[in-house]
Amino acid sequence: MPIVLEKLSHIYQQGASTTTALKDIDLTIGDEDLLALIGHTGSGKSTLAQHLNGLIKPTSGRVLLDGRDINAPGEDSRKLRFRVGLVFQYPEHQLFEETVYKDIAFGPKNMGLSEVEIDQRVRGAMDTVGLPFEEIKDRSPFEVSGGQMRRIALAGVLAMRPQVLVLDEPTAGLDPRARDLLLSDIQRLHQEGTTVVMISHAMDDVARLATRIAVLEKGALAMVGTPGEVFSRYEELTAMGLDVPQGCQLTRLLREMGGPAMADCYLLESLADSLTQQIKGGDGGAA
Amino acid sequence: MTTIPHLVLDQVTYRYEPEAPPAVNQVSLTVPRGQFAAVLGHNGSGKSTLAKMLNGLFLPTEGSVLVSGMDTREEKHTWDIRQAAGMVFQNPDNQLVATRVYDDVAFGLENIGVPTQEMPPRIDEALRLTGMSEFADRPPHLLSGGQKQRVAIAGILAMQPEALILDEATAMLDPQGRKEVFDTVARLNREQGITVVWITHFMEEAAKAQRVLVMNHGGIEMDGTPREIFSRVEEIRDLRLDVPPMTKLAHMLNARGVPAAPDVLTVEEMAREVKRLCPSCWKN
Repeated sequence: MPIVLEKLSHIYQQGASTTTALKDIDLTIGDEDLLALIGHTGSGKSTLAQHLNGLIKPTSGRVLLDGRDINAPGEDSRKLRFRVGLVFQYPEHQLFEETVYKDIAFGPKNMGLSEVEIDQRVRGAMDTVGLPFEEIKDRSPFEVSGGQMRRIALAGVLAMRPQVLVLDEPTAGLDPRARDLLLSDIQRLHQEGTTVVMISHAMDDVARLATRIAVLEKGALAMVGTPGEVFSRYEELTAMGLDVPQGCQLTRLLREMGGPAMADCYLLESLADSLTQQIKGGDGGAA
Repeated sequence: MTTIPHLVLDQVTYRYEPEAPPAVNQVSLTVPRGQFAAVLGHNGSGKSTLAKMLNGLFLPTEGSVLVSGMDTREEKHTWDIRQAAGMVFQNPDNQLVATRVYDDVAFGLENIGVPTQEMPPRIDEALRLTGMSEFADRPPHLLSGGQKQRVAIAGILAMQPEALILDEATAMLDPQGRKEVFDTVARLNREQGITVVWITHFMEEAAKAQRVLVMNHGGIEMDGTPREIFSRVEEIRDLRLDVPPMTKLAHMLNARGVPAAPDVLTVEEMAREVKRLCPSCWKN
């Protein structure tokens, strides 16, 4: 289910002053995408993400899901918006129910589903994110670990069975183990056919997971492309104050020092392969 | 100059409930004055509990914690210890209380009863050391996350502490904020000789410390320089922690039969290593 942003702009009004948060964004997110949205703090990433499920309405331009405007008036658009699940930053701050089960069931309940359907969805969502159903369904969502709280919040969105999943810095503040678990959940959802849009500052994660990257700067779309394309534009990214994966920093430094040229830089595995080739080949030549 | 080690833990155990398993288990540890020590470990490994014992916020269930020779269990030392070892927490929004940066830094001084006329120079100095002087009149809630954390640090510095304990102080910040806060603390360590205990999940921060402690199940599992610790890639992986990307790359090269030094930490070091391994790859 592709999402198309057409000349999307958003202007915040604060008293007499206005701030342009998003400016003429044209972007197509394809079914098969795991799109990473990167940019400096204040570049408009979160504002853009909140447009994708109609939480914020564009000042001008449109958000099309499967060719239909999600902000058109009427019940159909409401149903359309249910197909996009948004997971906020620190979503565990929004847990509120007495039990894990009730919290995850909240969204499906809102959709007006039957009890049986709700039960299936809660079980399914907990299974997807690796939460043991019997063990924690009746516990308070505030009694579990931070990583589990994050996954309960994600399960609450997944229980609505969105076809598009939008995540705003899903791993912020998690320890490495909880981060890896969550990222592999996201990767699996993507492989099983969910379109994913993920805001992240962690470039090494982005390099590993994304099929495409969109870079926002000052509310405008500065670049869109594959990780290889985007991370090869090292100077522009660093000028925007963004990190690049360390593999790309190494590739660049080697080039500056007059050393070997590497084809791809953003995946450590392939970098290790081409360095090995260079080094072994180089030694052979010298000997 | 005192020669007493700065922070000394002797067989320290902490339990939240009498019957609960210990959150910190039999830890003995000495942090010399002026050291920058990073602490790694999963949530639940005991890092935060340990940190809170370093300034007497928590008292050990068993064993003793000495801060500059003062035993945290002795009530008469409580305020001296809190002043000597200041803590910075994760969430920048929970630590600021005043409506103006300057007043926020003054808050701690008022609390410990510093005479009013002595306050301005101490506040100015603290703001200068954290690079926040130009923000003195701003309301804290309009600052970035990194700036807020620097104000929190300034509030502690004004109390003229000998140690800073930072419990995931960069976890909620963006990359720029993280760098700002880390660089500020590293400078305070270098230039003011302040002892730093830096708890983090970011391996690239730990890589810049003098010493890395890895906690697991309430105990200290590994203790050494960043080079020693991160070159033990398999052990780190078994603890499901990360190693810095360049150390990981060195490990991958070794697996491919290229004898790269296993303790490479930075991009610059890796570039030198490539040059050493393959002089003929170079044009000049």
